[in-house]
Amino acid sequence: MNIALEEEILCFLQRSDEEKFEAIALRLYEHQKRRNPAYSRYCEFVCQSELIDSWKKIPAVPQQAFKYSELRSFPANQTAAEFRTSGTTGQGFGRHFLGSLRLYQTAVQKGWDYFDLPRHPLILLMQHPEKAEFSSLSRMGGILSNYRSDSFYVNSEGIVEVDRLRTFLWNRTDPVTLFGPALAFLNLLEEISDLPLPPGSIVMETGGFKGMDREIGKGDLYARLSRCFRIEVDFIWNEYGMTELSSQFYSHGVGQPHSAPPWLRFLIINPTTNSEASPGEVGLLRIFDVANLWSVLAVQTQDLAVAQPGGGFRLLGRDPAALPRGCSRSMDELMQNRTSFKREKQGSWP
Amino acid sequence: MHLLNRVEAIAFAARGFPWLGDLTPSSIQRWIGLELGTLLDANTPQIYGDHHCSARALSPILHVVSGNTPHAGIQSLTRGILVGGTNRVKLPRQGLPEFDHFVRLLPAELQPETSNSLQAAWMEEAEAIIVFGSDETVEFFAKHVSPRQRLLAYGHKVSLGLVLDSFDANVIEGAVRDVLVFDQLGCLSPQLFYVAGDSAEFAKGLAERFNELFLSDSAVTEWTSEIAGSLRSCREEWKFRAATEPGIQVWESPESLDWLVIHDPNPSLISNPLYRTIFVKPVPAYLQSVLSPIRRQISTIGVHPVKSNTVELATQLGAQRVCPIGRMQKPAVTWHHDGAPTLANLVRFVDVEGLA
Repeated sequence: MNIALEEEILCFLQRSDEEKFEAIALRLYEHQKRRNPAYSRYCEFVCQSELIDSWKKIPAVPQQAFKYSELRSFPANQTAAEFRTSGTTGQGFGRHFLGSLRLYQTAVQKGWDYFDLPRHPLILLMQHPEKAEFSSLSRMGGILSNYRSDSFYVNSEGIVEVDRLRTFLWNRTDPVTLFGPALAFLNLLEEISDLPLPPGSIVMETGGFKGMDREIGKGDLYARLSRCFRIEVDFIWNEYGMTELSSQFYSHGVGQPHSAPPWLRFLIINPTTNSEASPGEVGLLRIFDVANLWSVLAVQTQDLAVAQPGGGFRLLGRDPAALPRGCSRSMDELMQNRTSFKREKQGSWP
Repeated sequence: MHLLNRVEAIAFAARGFPWLGDLTPSSIQRWIGLELGTLLDANTPQIYGDHHCSARALSPILHVVSGNTPHAGIQSLTRGILVGGTNRVKLPRQGLPEFDHFVRLLPAELQPETSNSLQAAWMEEAEAIIVFGSDETVEFFAKHVSPRQRLLAYGHKVSLGLVLDSFDANVIEGAVRDVLVFDQLGCLSPQLFYVAGDSAEFAKGLAERFNELFLSDSAVTEWTSEIAGSLRSCREEWKFRAATEPGIQVWESPESLDWLVIHDPNPSLISNPLYRTIFVKPVPAYLQSVLSPIRRQISTIGVHPVKSNTVELATQLGAQRVCPIGRMQKPAVTWHHDGAPTLANLVRFVDVEGLA
């Protein structure tokens, strides 16, 4: 394991000296290409002799690669944690291995602080990491709550404990942060229509819900959350993260861009040319996360987004089910029907 | 309007739409004869076994047409007109220009009423309802039709090719043609080819032919962002797999998303974003079990060569239509759409006994 590189990145995360991003990213790329056999073969396949002299040129693995290969940049017997995707496409789940949790923990904490997100008591609509050891979202909740079991409001059966939530909020005056996946909020909204949060509270939702049993636009969801929790839409945040990454983007309100902490960058890729999109053009989101020491720092997502003039990106997401297919049947759909695929109660993340 | 005039009118309107197939007056007459004999034609009941019989159109007929597949809408209307029904067509919200064009070529009295929204009265009054669409759409109509109404539902289907003997350039050419028509969005469009023998060579042959075709066409296809994103994600995923898994090979259109050929030695079914994306896999010994999840949803299996044993295999696999590779998108006008007659299902038979 490369402890020195881990220390250097930890330092970078703590001091957030943006100028160092490129140098660290390029060193990390070289390290991962040497230590990660699957990534090495991929780099050889896609760029052969191209000179990688800028962070923008670092080959990004497709997000789905985590389903097919163990993208480790360290020996397998030194695995400290494994996160898994929810596998909503019916083709198995992706796995993200970490040699240590130090960078992940620091990225979560420092990212939260970078956006001045309040350190209120947390109400987490997710399971405790002890009950969901492969969920990176639960791990994030654990890190932010210092693993307090009473902060977690989803039980072993995956059900939101609404009565306990009501009791906790009853007559409470100090602000709280209510954090969970969009699907858990949708479940909650089916059971309660009015649950005022104390003044100064925020709501943090994460994850998509397109393709799930229920679909709802972000504007509609935020309006319902705003009514139910009596909180202004601007105090509702979205955390955009994924199992395959160690860091998170954040936005608040509706129509606002997602922004990154200094150790996390993105490019919008024109899907036709597979090169950087022109300003304002819709493209695929490619993410460079230097906290991803243990796997691969550059990940090509399947999400569409548009770069914003003032920085950040506007997330459009993806919905494979909405793609026009004429009368040709989706093989995915048939295979999922066949296996009676059951989605995780917490939903996918993102 | 008399049947003969309806036949002439359909044949006239179809002249500008070669992709509708062979719709000449004589072929239409033959089609009617095969499904209904002379029962539709006669003013008086015809001898039918020990009694007499005539066929009268179910009417009105409501056609619910989906987007992206104008040919299905036009075929459906054609069938409704031929049997002599009054036709009402619910078009997709975004409209269907080819359908409108076809309708304008018909005599006024054969032109259907159309609407972009579903009219409650149309649902109630229809004697037959023909639906093209997803499972959800079909389920919606299944719940809302009454027992006195006839529902003909054409859901989405999967088609594929089977190359079971040595192949040549003609087979490759035919396979490419089958993929290209309607940008692979038809229910008769192959999503994958199973190849006995050198499957990688077949895949390479497809790629070379696609390359030749698109090199001579300088216009790069402009897909929407959603489609382009999905196609890019697919090719990057498979390029990663080609780099890390033995036997997987990827051929792609250079600097565009025009086409993609993937050779995958694993015979399992796989998700396909379409838009000229084709998978080639070796034929496994257990093909029947591999295809069992989609058995009921298979429409056409294109085979090479077409012989009694290959036809039997395709039939056992669940095909409702078996044809040579290269003709997958050109069903005969007399085909049984999704395994059922297309005209005989749109009439009621009136049996008359005791007529001298």
